[in-house]
Amino acid sequence: MLKRDHQLVLPTEVRTPGFRVELRGTTFRLVATGAWTVAEAADLDKALKRLRVPIPPTPDFTGEMDIAGIAEIDTAGALLLQRTVSAWQKGGLRTRYAGATEDFRVLIQEVHRRGQAERPEIDTQGAVQDFVDSVKNALTGAWRDVVDLTAFLGEVTAGFLRLFKQPWRFRTTSFFHHLDYAGLRALPIISLICFLIGAVVMQQGVVQLKPFGAEPFAVNMVAILALREVGILLTAIMVAGRSGSAFTAEIGSMKMREEIDAMRTLGIDPMDTLVLPRVLALVVALPLLTFLGDIMALAGGGVMAFAVLGLDLSSYIDKLHEAVDFQHFMAGMIKAPFAAVIIGLVGCLEGLRVQGSAESLGTHVTSAVVKAIFLVIIVDAVFAMFLSGIGV
Amino acid sequence: MSVEDEREVVIRVRELAKSFGSHQIWEALSLDVYRGEILAIVGGSGQGKSVLMRVITGLVAPDKGVVALFGQNADTLTPQARLDIEKRWGILFQDGALFSSLTVLQNIQVPMREHLDLPQAMMDDLAFLKLTMVGLPPEAAHKFPSELSGGMRKRAGLARALALDPEIVFLDEPTAGLDPIGASDFDHLIRKLQQTLGLTVYMVTHDLDTIFTVCDRVAVLADKKIVRTGSPSELQSQPDHPWIEEYFCGERARAASPAEQRRLIG
Repeated sequence: MLKRDHQLVLPTEVRTPGFRVELRGTTFRLVATGAWTVAEAADLDKALKRLRVPIPPTPDFTGEMDIAGIAEIDTAGALLLQRTVSAWQKGGLRTRYAGATEDFRVLIQEVHRRGQAERPEIDTQGAVQDFVDSVKNALTGAWRDVVDLTAFLGEVTAGFLRLFKQPWRFRTTSFFHHLDYAGLRALPIISLICFLIGAVVMQQGVVQLKPFGAEPFAVNMVAILALREVGILLTAIMVAGRSGSAFTAEIGSMKMREEIDAMRTLGIDPMDTLVLPRVLALVVALPLLTFLGDIMALAGGGVMAFAVLGLDLSSYIDKLHEAVDFQHFMAGMIKAPFAAVIIGLVGCLEGLRVQGSAESLGTHVTSAVVKAIFLVIIVDAVFAMFLSGIGV
Repeated sequence: MSVEDEREVVIRVRELAKSFGSHQIWEALSLDVYRGEILAIVGGSGQGKSVLMRVITGLVAPDKGVVALFGQNADTLTPQARLDIEKRWGILFQDGALFSSLTVLQNIQVPMREHLDLPQAMMDDLAFLKLTMVGLPPEAAHKFPSELSGGMRKRAGLARALALDPEIVFLDEPTAGLDPIGASDFDHLIRKLQQTLGLTVYMVTHDLDTIFTVCDRVAVLADKKIVRTGSPSELQSQPDHPWIEEYFCGERARAASPAEQRRLIG
């Protein structure tokens, strides 16, 4: 903001920004006063827009911006003046400034010069085109996901098989770190959730079966549900939210800071150092966590069975033996390594897809969790059909 | 009374102390910033150059001491008064600190949108004006920060700092990470904008070329306080402090100083 020396300006004029237009001889004069600053720009803008462009009756009429009364001016004020001058000149009025100090003149000249610059238009398109584009993007995105994920599965498999030939490539420390992080530290939360769901299903089962006098069969329901579905699904969803997102965030932030490029140039394969330890750690951890989840869901059911059915521990275990066998347990467990591979692959792949910005990291973490959970449920459904098809 | 004492002091810092953990960075730091000058803060790394900027702008609280902004004590400001003062300065952070989800034009409009009630057309005009004033091509307006080069991001950050036509701009290492041509352009840009807009410029810098080309005054941070202030040529001719001597009379400084360049040309 440029200020005029205060001695030269009347105090009343310092306060109120404004202007008036008058005709003196053959000169239209816009007499501006006060502070023409960005804080006052909204009012000045409104008033100037209402101002009609004077039409010169004969060509020898001229225009003048008398800014001797302006106490303070900044780029916003200068822009408003420039806009008015351009409008007047377009109307055929040669316009000049009067009463500018040296400082003001520099600023006004600069704004006049810059104000002429060409502006690029933003491409705007209709709603229909937007809709078509978004559908197209969604479809191509989904197709690209399928292709990329398949290719990535191939790469990871190749990397894994290479470990047998070159076992020194295996990153033991990294593997155990992730085993600890994704496995051991997930124990409390997974135990708690499976326990609670087991208890809730037992309680609801008893309530729903009571009218038929079949409430002892709630134990069968809980046992089969826990072993075949609840244990694996809850565990996989928790792990996807907990570890899948962490994989994307870790790898993604390394990608953002060019650490992955640095690794490649140092001859370190990110597949060996980042992806394989994570995926393998999950493949080991998830079945173990699922086993724990199964046990805890059964335990939750047992506690609730004692509370609402009055079954003691030994009769609950007897009933479990009648209800389920090893096949049911395996039907759940067989899905665990597949879920682990999916969560690990999606998490690492999304991490590697992160671009330069923090926003992109956020998007990819979200999409990693969503895609991993979606795929885990799809695989679960496929297994359910397959296993019932072969009569397990 | 010396000439300097008659100039208006826009920022007055007195007896500032700050420590991080057991590491004390200043004991009693005092500094005046005068209206209309370009002041450079120099000092070795770890002397708290950037922290001083953050203390003045209120991002970090000092342990002891007073910061007065435009003659008002920063500690006793009401939130409203603080906001009014914040409208009177603009800050360029090291890498621009542009909002990544907004385009350059929208970034420049953020302060206007927050603090003023301007019509959209006026905001567009103003933002375009600022954009061209900092030397960005008009095509950059609708790009996102991630699509810009480092130098362009700095210019865009400067345009955002200038959005409300501030009285003071703070620049944190404005030429760091720019190539010599870009850095020299940026120096001239700062000088030109300072003259056109009547700015007071407070910059943290390491760049000797910047100091010799654009700065009116240099404040040297060493020994946990401001050890000296003065024009670059004064500091070079009478260093009076081992660090200043090393900085202003070292090999790089001699190459950058106007006296040496005259000698080479002559």
